[in-house]
Amino acid sequence: MKTRFLFPHWCRYLGYALFLIHIPVVLFQKMLGFDIPGQHIDDGGLFSPHHLFFMTTTLLMALGLFLAAFSKEKIEDEQISQLRLDSLQWAIYVNYVLLIVSLILSSDTQHILFLNLLVPLVFFIIRFQWKLFQNNRMLKKDGNI
Amino acid sequence: MKNNIRVERAIKNITQADLADLIGVSRQTINTIESNRYVPSTVLALKIARVFNKPVEEVFFLEDND
Repeated sequence: MKTRFLFPHWCRYLGYALFLIHIPVVLFQKMLGFDIPGQHIDDGGLFSPHHLFFMTTTLLMALGLFLAAFSKEKIEDEQISQLRLDSLQWAIYVNYVLLIVSLILSSDTQHILFLNLLVPLVFFIIRFQWKLFQNNRMLKKDGNI
Repeated sequence: MKNNIRVERAIKNITQADLADLIGVSRQTINTIESNRYVPSTVLALKIARVFNKPVEEVFFLEDND
């Protein structure tokens, strides 16, 4: 079975790198303190420095997660694509449960948007990698018989 | 679905890694099939049976609850 629409394997490391780069940048921004929620949201509007900074860091994060999530494994076979589909289904379930809960409990749309941006990909990556890790552990336990 | 890949491998004296190489999948995939955690596609089942020179029904069997 051919899997389509996947990035080459090395894109995974590029993705992790982009995601890791975005963390110190955002922390730096928070430490400087010019990102107090609610205070700067309406200044400048589109393409203001604040908006540009937010857009760049968010894009960096989203692109990083996207590449990390949808790159090929070293050996891409049907069992892997089954795992990927399974994890994707779980990720969508979890995302929608959280989305519904946050819609009921919160009216902060910016946080809901952020949650929606992060949760599916992060949960997908964690679940998928966890299953791969479990398979590898089983293989080690059984030995190469 | 159950299978006797482990037995067939022992008869043919090949490892999971050998079988994986022969049909172009990962060792993990062979391991998950042998431990009944993954049901292979028809294509993969046919390929495995071909390695052992046996019909598919002699390598894979239906269970009562299938």
